[in-house]
Amino acid sequence: MPAYHSIFLEDRDVPVIGNFPVLPLRTRTRGPAYTLPSLPPGADIDIQPDNESYDCVDEILSLFRANVLFRNFEINGPADRMLIYGTLFITECLGKVKPTMTVREAEKALTNVALDNFAIPGDASFPLNQAFEPPRDRQDAETLRSYLSQVRQEIAIRLLARLYPGGVGPSKFWLSFTKRKFMGKSF
Amino acid sequence: MAPQTPAVVMDNGTGYSKLGFAGNDSPSFVFPTAIATRAGAGGAGAGSRPTVANKPSFLGSGGGGSSHLSTKRGTEDLDFFIGDEALAAASGPGYGINYPIRHGQIENWDQMERFWSNSIFKYLRVEPEDHYFLLTEPPLNPPENRENTAEIMFESFNCAGLYIAVQAVLALAASWTSSKVTDRSLTGTVIDSGDGVTHVIPVAEGYVIGSSIKSIPIAGRDITYFVQSLLRDRGEPDSSLKTAERVKEEYCYVCPDIVKEFARYDREPDRFLQHTVTSPNGRSVTIDVGYERFLAPEIFFNPEIYSSDFLTPLPNVVDGVIQSSPIDVRRGLYKNIVLSGGSTLYKDFGRRLQRDIRHLVEARIRASEARSGGARSGGLDVAVVTHKRQRHGPWFGGSLLGQTPEFRSYCHTKAEYDEIGPSIVRRFALLGGPGST
Repeated sequence: MPAYHSIFLEDRDVPVIGNFPVLPLRTRTRGPAYTLPSLPPGADIDIQPDNESYDCVDEILSLFRANVLFRNFEINGPADRMLIYGTLFITECLGKVKPTMTVREAEKALTNVALDNFAIPGDASFPLNQAFEPPRDRQDAETLRSYLSQVRQEIAIRLLARLYPGGVGPSKFWLSFTKRKFMGKSF
Repeated sequence: MAPQTPAVVMDNGTGYSKLGFAGNDSPSFVFPTAIATRAGAGGAGAGSRPTVANKPSFLGSGGGGSSHLSTKRGTEDLDFFIGDEALAAASGPGYGINYPIRHGQIENWDQMERFWSNSIFKYLRVEPEDHYFLLTEPPLNPPENRENTAEIMFESFNCAGLYIAVQAVLALAASWTSSKVTDRSLTGTVIDSGDGVTHVIPVAEGYVIGSSIKSIPIAGRDITYFVQSLLRDRGEPDSSLKTAERVKEEYCYVCPDIVKEFARYDREPDRFLQHTVTSPNGRSVTIDVGYERFLAPEIFFNPEIYSSDFLTPLPNVVDGVIQSSPIDVRRGLYKNIVLSGGSTLYKDFGRRLQRDIRHLVEARIRASEARSGGARSGGLDVAVVTHKRQRHGPWFGGSLLGQTPEFRSYCHTKAEYDEIGPSIVRRFALLGGPGST
């Protein structure tokens, strides 16, 4: 049984930029993503894939601990690229959280990572350019950047809730995955 | 000799030796197959040093027949320990530890002979003249090794009779205790996972299909290492190999799906456990036990998460082994997949293996149905047998077969050996095969 793939591979008509999918998100940040209905607070930790609000960030977070253990991953479609991007971004986030941080400090650190200048597919400093195509023109690049920014912020917010369940933490069980490198890559 | 003495069953493995009497439920002794000899593992150094030391006393005594003999073959030959005592002796000065069995086969016959002599006289405390012996051998053991074994057993120990059985066949016999097994056949696939290596051995009608055996470099020791690395990643206060081994043995189990299992740990925090390690000096530390509970045995099913050079999951290896066996026995091999060895004891190990092999088989059947255009397959029964005697499977199988009334008629006796010579042990009639009860 190899690593887990995205269930969003089955979704047709997902718009792509280059070969990166622009999947719907359940988010409050503004951006190009189609917004899914929000959930009551606290319900998103245990959301099931058949829920209409289930988005790719939920999937990335639930598959992270399993997939990060794997070194090989076969890309079966655009949605898997989102999975790769999200998984590597979580690893980056975990690297910023120190075991001694309080929930406030960690929130600040994670928001900073999410908003920092980041590379998008096609940039020279993007590590996965063999598997990711660059956007066609500058306008597409701008859309992709703002979409990725939405994804990053959403991952950071939801990861924080998992790292500090009930405000206490960080969970050492999550932090133990910091050193693992999915596909041997990192941002 | 009115009441028959029970046969002695000895299963000497690479890691542990299991000794006991036929008819018993469990071996009387289980200890490492290790021997500690005087002055280290180097044989040459061990011989020369005592001779030099003995010389003055030999000259002083004036020399006699007996002392002449003692310089040639001194008492240092008798100065050794086996098993746990060997490990204890080797940790002190003056003794070196040796492992006479490597990769299942006897490498050092002199040490093995001494190991056996101590096993028989010091541990089991039996007279070999009065007992029949059932020994085990790994699959593909060369016949010369059997002859050497017979030579030692008959000429050094003068044992009454000898039978040498293949471990995998005995493991199949051990599975007859399971309620799931209805016909006592000696056809099946044995998955034998010990400390160092895991073997998948197909057996048809009591004979090992040697060309199809596969081994996997993932076994108990690797699981321990993996647990240790997970404990280290988390920065637990104690992550010694010993602790990792305890965690592995006490808390690990096999889960159906790791993603669902992670989610389950989020929902049910009481699945996280704590383990207290008490060190010899009386201090105790408590460590947390988390995802390693199900991740550790997962390396059988997803070797990728542990090793970078061996990537084939155990279910695929088993399927490949059966597919490479003769076509007329494959059905029997799928129907009777028997587990043996300490690393197959995880809860639900057999269940997961059965499910995964079944998936592989069904996918292949569907593909060939599609290719044939409309033909329907009758299906294929895949069953993994889990039973209570897995840990010492081969030994227990030997105990089971060694207590049958006809066991002695299958053995070669001392008289037969004297008549024909060591080559007699190249062939044994199949114990427990068709025609026996």
